[in-house]
Amino acid sequence: MEQKLITVVAAALGVDPELLKLDSAAGEIEAWDSVAQINIVSEVEEEFGVSIPIEKIAELHTIRDFLLYLGAK
Amino acid sequence: MKCALLSNSNIESLSRRVDTRHEMFIGEGYGSWIQELANPTSAMWRFGPAAVVLLLDGTELLHGYEGAKEDTLFAAVDEQITWIERAAELAPAVKFFVSNIDVPPLSVRSMKQVSIERRLEAYWYDRLVALGARVPNMYVMDVKGLIEGRGREQFYSKKRWYLGGMKYSVVAEKTLAKEITRTLDAIAGTGRKKCLLVDLDNTLWGGVIGEDGLEGIQLSETGEGARYRDFQRRIRQLKDLGVILAIVSKNNYTDVQEVFDNHADMVLKKDDFASLKINWSTKPQNIAEVAQDLDIGSDSFVFIDDNPVDREAVRSAMPEVTVPDFPADTTLLPAFLDQIYQDYFFALESTEEDRKRTETYLQNAKRAAERHAAWSVEEFLTALKTKITVRKVMDEDLPRAAQLTQKTNQFNLTTRRYTEQDLQGFRRSADSAVYIASVSDKFGDNGKTFLAILKKAPPDTAEVDTFLMSCRVMGRFIEDQILDHLVRELRQQNVAKLRLHFFPTKKNMPARAMLDRLKGKIVSQEENGNTTWEYDLTQGSPVTQPAYAELMPR
Repeated sequence: MEQKLITVVAAALGVDPELLKLDSAAGEIEAWDSVAQINIVSEVEEEFGVSIPIEKIAELHTIRDFLLYLGAK
Repeated sequence: MKCALLSNSNIESLSRRVDTRHEMFIGEGYGSWIQELANPTSAMWRFGPAAVVLLLDGTELLHGYEGAKEDTLFAAVDEQITWIERAAELAPAVKFFVSNIDVPPLSVRSMKQVSIERRLEAYWYDRLVALGARVPNMYVMDVKGLIEGRGREQFYSKKRWYLGGMKYSVVAEKTLAKEITRTLDAIAGTGRKKCLLVDLDNTLWGGVIGEDGLEGIQLSETGEGARYRDFQRRIRQLKDLGVILAIVSKNNYTDVQEVFDNHADMVLKKDDFASLKINWSTKPQNIAEVAQDLDIGSDSFVFIDDNPVDREAVRSAMPEVTVPDFPADTTLLPAFLDQIYQDYFFALESTEEDRKRTETYLQNAKRAAERHAAWSVEEFLTALKTKITVRKVMDEDLPRAAQLTQKTNQFNLTTRRYTEQDLQGFRRSADSAVYIASVSDKFGDNGKTFLAILKKAPPDTAEVDTFLMSCRVMGRFIEDQILDHLVRELRQQNVAKLRLHFFPTKKNMPARAMLDRLKGKIVSQEENGNTTWEYDLTQGSPVTQPAYAELMPR
């Protein structure tokens, strides 16, 4: 799941997956701005078949946050 | 290409998905599109776009008009259309692509009540179409059609709207970005293919004519055979957009002839095809012959065949030919052709030359036959009764003129590719002139087939930036005659020197022959073969070739 998540996030950001780590965070990666954050949410929802409530989204800052959210589901 | 994307919703994410070949500008703020359009010093106009895409969301367009009467809404639409019209008229060289609108139901209503949303969609569309008819640089982008194809459920995303003011889902953004990219590519006009090659058995009809016979093949107005009839209808529509059709099929010619003559449900007629290769040779061999017959590079071919072995043979022998996979389920044939149109033949508009192109190729075949009738070249050329009309380009010529620069490879001295906007620039400049010529003969009208761009080089020299001619009218010394005519005009303007350049490419050796016939001297030659000739016009015209056509300046 970890590798798939990184691939999905990389695709949403339009960057090489090699550049991302679990603790990669919004603000630290140049392409990861507020628009990209929404695209990551959309792509993760699509790829993992989940619907992330709007209240949760502000808490998801790193790839690890997404992973924990998906694990907790 | 520089493109401004304006919208009344947040299209930042969408704009990032447009191919990076194109430089995008996006408006600031959701409601600022009118201001960007109307204010000549707005950030958008300072950006200097060659194309403006206006993507409007119907719901947002109605913002602030809740509960308003139809008249009020229509008046608001009229005003918005007027802003678009003014912008399009102020910048005639910029292409405007304006979306139609989709308005999901905004309120509950009884069955007898009129749907204001439907009325508004229709009114907006009618006004856009009328505008497109008045203003040549404005086009309707069928976004509503894309939304209908996917369904609103998939196209819109409430979550993205509330989170970031983005109306569209990820998949919708990808669809829209593809549409925008395709449209911008079409302005540049470089990727378009020219010729569609089709197989016959199990492609234009179901079954094998040689085995199943005229009665046995599947091809009918209704029922199962209708999928092939619908497929043929679409191929015919492609032809009307200027795509050349040719048949490449392993068959007995007489069997196929019988289908053309006697099958009531054949939509495509023999004359719809510019070349017929119906024999037992290999497909690559036949395709090479079509390329020769039509004088079209095989990199401009798209080949459709149901047989994977034949497709593979063509792919490996001629990698430059585009060979799409054939649908396994033939009910998808009409949709398959729609995709082929979108991917390889997409056009913003079609010119009169496009509609008549196949006819022209067929006439050419007849001309060639006449030449073979043991005449001398001179007799043949005289008997053709060619007429040339030369004049400076006008607004209405620009689409064809741009197309000529983008598609002409063989008789092209410099192979410089230009957009309509570029040509408009040359046309308006006092230091350059653009000439176009039409050629007709006793077999028919070849249309606008010649283009030249001349530039002044102080103090008294004229520089030929572009000198090209469609391959349809090559081999008649028309180029010498037109040059001679241009020289006469230049001499009247006291131009003393003419400079011609030749930039060699893989394909343009035919153009070199003219330079060898002219009286002049090479003044520079670079390592890559780029060569410049100079002609002293004070000594008269450099043209020595006798003329065979009648030339009419206008």
